Amino acid sequence: MAHVSVPLYWRTLPQRYRLVGQKCKKCGSVNFPPKGVCRYCSASSEFEEVQLSGRGKVHTFVLISAGGAPPEFAEQEKAGGQYPVAIVQLEEGPKVIGQIADVDPKEVKIDMPVTTELRKIYTEEDVIRYGFKFVPATEGR
Amino acid sequence: MRKVAIVGAGQSRYGEFPEKGIKELFFDAYKDMVASVDKGLDPRLIESAYIGNLGSGGFQLGNMSALVSEYVGLPHINTMRIENACASGGYALVAAVMDVLSGVHKVALAGGVEKMTDVSGTKQKYWLGVSGDTEYERLAGTTFSGLYALIARRHMHEFGTKREHLSMVAVKNHKNGAQNPKAQFQREITLEQALKGPIVAAPLNLFDCCSTTDGASAVLVCDADIARQFTDTPVYVAGFGTASDYLAIHDRASTVTLEGTRRASQQAYKMAGLTPNDIHVAEVHDCFTIAELLAYEDLGFCEKGKAGPFIEEGHTQIGGDRPVNPSGGLKSKGHPIGSTGTGQAYEMFNQLRGTVQKPPRQVKGAELGLIHNVGGSGGTVSVTIMRR
Repeated sequence: MAHVSVPLYWRTLPQRYRLVGQKCKKCGSVNFPPKGVCRYCSASSEFEEVQLSGRGKVHTFVLISAGGAPPEFAEQEKAGGQYPVAIVQLEEGPKVIGQIADVDPKEVKIDMPVTTELRKIYTEEDVIRYGFKFVPATEGR
Repeated sequence: MRKVAIVGAGQSRYGEFPEKGIKELFFDAYKDMVASVDKGLDPRLIESAYIGNLGSGGFQLGNMSALVSEYVGLPHINTMRIENACASGGYALVAAVMDVLSGVHKVALAGGVEKMTDVSGTKQKYWLGVSGDTEYERLAGTTFSGLYALIARRHMHEFGTKREHLSMVAVKNHKNGAQNPKAQFQREITLEQALKGPIVAAPLNLFDCCSTTDGASAVLVCDADIARQFTDTPVYVAGFGTASDYLAIHDRASTVTLEGTRRASQQAYKMAGLTPNDIHVAEVHDCFTIAELLAYEDLGFCEKGKAGPFIEEGHTQIGGDRPVNPSGGLKSKGHPIGSTGTGQAYEMFNQLRGTVQKPPRQVKGAELGLIHNVGGSGGTVSVTIMRR
């Protein structure tokens, strides 16, 4: 059974907890999630760490219903109904996928401004996994 | 330069077969392939077998190609499993073609097999939903329906593609599949039904999604110089191409283009000395309805963004100027992951030889056909062009 083990998850905690990206020392582009070689210039593997703001705009989104939810998210769908997942264009450049919380699914729109918060993502191997989710950007957050 | 011919092709029925495992399914396809070789086949001539497969039904994860090869009577050949998710079969065909082109072997088998219905729905989603990006896409709570829905929503936003355009793909492919005796779902659906399916991952509903399928297929390729010892009507491999892409959609420059399809098809057109307009019939990878619309654009059948009007105008119907998925496609014929690519080759072999089982499905006079197989949401893509 394919799954994301705790050690595999741990290796991505800097991204999931603190949005740590890589700024390419050659072309200056920001990679997030990290790559071995810069995804933009394909010419450098020298990076400096940067912390992303978490702010961005919805590029596209889907509302996941029961038939589309992976087993580890089925409970969330059962309890709360369909949930939105978006690809968000971050203000530093890269796009990244994540759920949108604290929103009526009917209110989600392309180009809607969002920001990130640390939330519970799911539970596997009896370990609660935390990571970023998007929430609508409002005054003060 | 050496040329490659296809001289036989077979397919099991696609569907749900509790009595059959991967060995039995593959044997069904193999026997059907042997029966299709007009002048007969001495199995001792087969030197190589490339078998597309993703999960062996969670049963024989290692050395499965040796197992299915020996079961059909080929115990001591060059055999290997090819795994590129849903494009495994298409890549198995390309591997067999490259083998023969290299001159190492003269006769090679390309096949595929998948046993999907032995595993529970929950396990299937673990087993199948992991050919996209696992760390981010999966952990955002998506499976493939969700990923293709992200593409569909953006396509609608950028180009004005309508919900009805998606459903038109399902209606067309079910209409074709209703004439295919080997298809999983041999029934037509109405546009109204297709529009009102239960929501899976909005904007996609159940009728936008292909199913869970058992099935196998097998294609015999050989050096064109010896093709006539097998048949007087071989089909030739005119060109092929393969290309990969960023696994996660969020890493791609464009959300609404499968760059793998664009690049793989351009390689194939160039090798064949053809343009998209030369293709008479195509089998494309319609795992979700939006995927067929993307294929129209990325294979060059219409301009980027115009796939909605392209299907609406009827170009891709049988009888239109560029029929697509006369077999019923993944949508109606079924999608036994590892078998899908070589199953497309089976359909095209018959289309180009004028030997499809039920005449309404035959594209009349087709001489040039293209098959297109996509792994995951576009992480891998293969395209092969065949000529009568």
